[in-house]
Amino acid sequence: MLLYAGRRLTYGLLVLALVAVLVFLIIRLIPGDVVRLQLADAPGVTQAQIDQRTAELGLDEPILTQFGHFVGGLLHGDLGTSFEDGRPVTTKILERLPATLELGLLAILFGVLLGVPFGMLSAIRHHSITDNVMRFLAVIGMSLPNFWLALLLITFLALWFGWSPPLVYVSPTEDLGQNLVHMLLPAIALGAATMASIARMLRSSLLEVLGSNFIRTIRSRGASERVVVLKHAGRSSMIPVFTVLGLQVGHILGGTVILERIFAIPGMGSLIFEAVGQRDYPVILGCVIFYGAIFILVNVVVDLLYAVIDPRIRYEGATA
Amino acid sequence: MIVPGATPLVEAHGLVKHFGDGKGLFTPQRPPVRAVDGVSLTINRGETLGLVGESGSGKSTLGRLILRLIEPTSGTVTFDGQDIATLSKSRLTQLRKRMQLVFQDPFSSFNPRMTIAQVLTEPMLVHGMGDRASRIKRAKELLDLVGLPSFAMERYPHQFSGGQAQRIGIARALSTDPDLIVCDEAVSALDVSVQAQVLNLLKEVQRELGLSYLFIAHDLNVVRYISDRVCVMYLGKLAEVAHADDISERPRHPYSQALMASIPSPDAHHELRTPLAGEIPSPRRPPAGCRFHPRCSQRIDGCDRDEPELLTIGSNSEARSVACHLFDPTSAR
Amino acid sequence: MSIAISGTARAARRPKTRSGLVRFATEQPLGAIALVLITLFVVVAVLAPWIAPYDPLAQDRVNILTPPGVGGHPAGTDELGRDVLSRSLYGARTSLLIAVATLALGGLIGLVIGVVSGYFGGTWVDSVLQRIMDALMAIPSIVLLLFVAALLGPSVRNTVIALSLLVIPSINRVARGEMLRIREEPYVEAARSVGCSTPRILVRYGLPNLMAPLFVMGSLLFAVILIAESALSFLGIGTPPPTPSWGRMLSEGRSQLEIAPWMTVVPGLILSVSVLAFNLLGDAMRDFLDPKQRR
Repeated sequence: MLLYAGRRLTYGLLVLALVAVLVFLIIRLIPGDVVRLQLADAPGVTQAQIDQRTAELGLDEPILTQFGHFVGGLLHGDLGTSFEDGRPVTTKILERLPATLELGLLAILFGVLLGVPFGMLSAIRHHSITDNVMRFLAVIGMSLPNFWLALLLITFLALWFGWSPPLVYVSPTEDLGQNLVHMLLPAIALGAATMASIARMLRSSLLEVLGSNFIRTIRSRGASERVVVLKHAGRSSMIPVFTVLGLQVGHILGGTVILERIFAIPGMGSLIFEAVGQRDYPVILGCVIFYGAIFILVNVVVDLLYAVIDPRIRYEGATA
Repeated sequence: MIVPGATPLVEAHGLVKHFGDGKGLFTPQRPPVRAVDGVSLTINRGETLGLVGESGSGKSTLGRLILRLIEPTSGTVTFDGQDIATLSKSRLTQLRKRMQLVFQDPFSSFNPRMTIAQVLTEPMLVHGMGDRASRIKRAKELLDLVGLPSFAMERYPHQFSGGQAQRIGIARALSTDPDLIVCDEAVSALDVSVQAQVLNLLKEVQRELGLSYLFIAHDLNVVRYISDRVCVMYLGKLAEVAHADDISERPRHPYSQALMASIPSPDAHHELRTPLAGEIPSPRRPPAGCRFHPRCSQRIDGCDRDEPELLTIGSNSEARSVACHLFDPTSAR
Repeated sequence: MSIAISGTARAARRPKTRSGLVRFATEQPLGAIALVLITLFVVVAVLAPWIAPYDPLAQDRVNILTPPGVGGHPAGTDELGRDVLSRSLYGARTSLLIAVATLALGGLIGLVIGVVSGYFGGTWVDSVLQRIMDALMAIPSIVLLLFVAALLGPSVRNTVIALSLLVIPSINRVARGEMLRIREEPYVEAARSVGCSTPRILVRYGLPNLMAPLFVMGSLLFAVILIAESALSFLGIGTPPPTPSWGRMLSEGRSQLEIAPWMTVVPGLILSVSVLAFNLLGDAMRDFLDPKQRR
């Protein structure tokens, strides 16, 4: 188990390193001079100013040297300093990370809390009207763009109840209640797709488990359908929930970017968006690497959880 | 029939193929599968050489080594005097024209997206033979040769029966006018009545075109019917090589005898002296000494220790090769 | 014989006739509805200039922010007096153009990578290509899009390039998996024994036999692209103005949510229905091709 975990983690680090290299290369290979773009709006910029700024940013060195600095810094956890205000990128990101994580976790919580019972209900009553309605709703849930769903929620809550979400973000350490009120709508908009995916996947895997001999035996002893599903099938179908979570991390992380914009939440999404506007490349680069790291970490954890739940997977993975 | 004095079409020397002996980054080293473990044989011009053995004996691998569809671990194959192991890629492609393969399951050997016309003209197209019109013409002639109507041209493989499909497989193999066709269990998937038809077709074609076959099958009954000579293979090695009649009437190697005995015969005057017991061992860990010894009913002292060599015994007309201590004059009895 | 045939092979052997479409419609009614919706979407997108009641850019100064049905505007107008319905229909045009171009570009690259990787599965070629794909997949799509679109600047062409990066790994995964299966098929060995070159095997034997699952993925990706394109435009780094696009309409409507909800509801609804149709079609095609899924 420890060997497997180690191997899986090594592999994750390898992919993360590739992400860093890829992102670095894309930035450097795409035409467009950072400095010119930065100073483009300022009138009367001289060549001397441009050269000075280029030297300041270390962009006058050969690309391999730049890459060397970048990798060297990366190994020390140093992602450079922001072009904009000169503060360390790592600091800037770590300031913003908690809000993003909170939003993501709340969305997952919402998705699991509703998706699991919906999936189970669908499986117990399969082929009933309830089941068909739920399945259809699940497909719709997966098809609604989260930002549109957010706009709809805001609109109709305003129109029908005269309620609008707060405009100013409050940190949870300051006022948890106020913070949660703020986070509620974006978390629901973001978690809807997760909920739908979980319900769908849980339904199909539960149906498979319910059809197996093991469950038929239990059922023949006279256990009621609800007991069968909750006690016996539930545990063995936890795997699909993890599968969905592994698959959905990307969507959820991506979704935070856009929902943080809509709801004015100061998370990493807002940071990368601001950085893009200012062409603050070290910050953009740092954010992309952080997003990649979160994605990879979650997937490693999901894989390890698989191995804990079902040891067979570990052996398959080991021989592959 | 064998043309005396001519050089053999195919000569294989010491062919070895081990699978899976590569050490992966994360995979622990395991002993390799010794699919083919030192086989030498010759195929003469115009001859049908049978290759018989249980599944897992390595006979299909041997067939593919001879066609160089897979690379041997060691050993050489010469085809018409050329060493095919050292041929360049382009020369090998040229040589492919002269050796073809017929598969066990004809359906899966055709691209389901190709019509029969495309299937039959593909080899000619690849080798740049003729123009479009002449290739189509030849494809129709080939269909005629294997006894199928020319309206089959525009159909898809799945629209035929198993026997018809195998005829198309043979037509494809004939399309480049090859010198050698390797038939890998070519009739095993067919009904017995259809088997006979296809076997007769193969014999007929051979009479007409004078090509050679390497006929691979697990069914000795089929092999002895079509072959001039027969190689009996066991766990990657040849046990016995003899004329087809000699193998079926006077098998020498205990394994050949067991195979013969397992053929159900209508006149059951053969005494079942050596029923074949047990399963074929894993080619990953072959038994020491003679590989057949754990299942051999005539095992003698030393069989589990020394590996018997393939030795020629008998006089000219009845010459054969056997790898068994029972027939080795030098082995200590 | 019949047992050994996989779902895709069965589909492959099915002749492409009208009866195939009829069977799809009867077995997968939801898929048939989706197909109708998609046809409608394509027709609207192509014929927008002839169908739309107004010029999408024309500003009706008299009717600013009018609700649906007022002043001859079936879905109302925006803050500049532009007809929301006409703009939505033209938005379909932009989305279709971008989605088709993206699928073509990203699909082609992903297909080549996947097919080559699958055929050489287990070798260093495969490992190198797949690790790069893993890295590409590890970056959340919106972040990747934001990153690339920001570097390239907003334009339809650059949006297509950015969105392609999202398509490549998914198409690659499907194509590689199929190719890993196909390369073990006897007909590939037959092709090799006949003397076919590797490129010829990939194109003549690989490609035609992996198209079916690729269409499933293509349909699902179409839905993803529609959302991603709108998201980019919503964030203001996708299709530049004045080209009408759903995403920008949503972002314009955001400031008028309580006064003119139709500005948000109409384009969003059309977008969602289009996405839903492609998702349903993808699901239906998958179930249709895989007999095991039929319950």
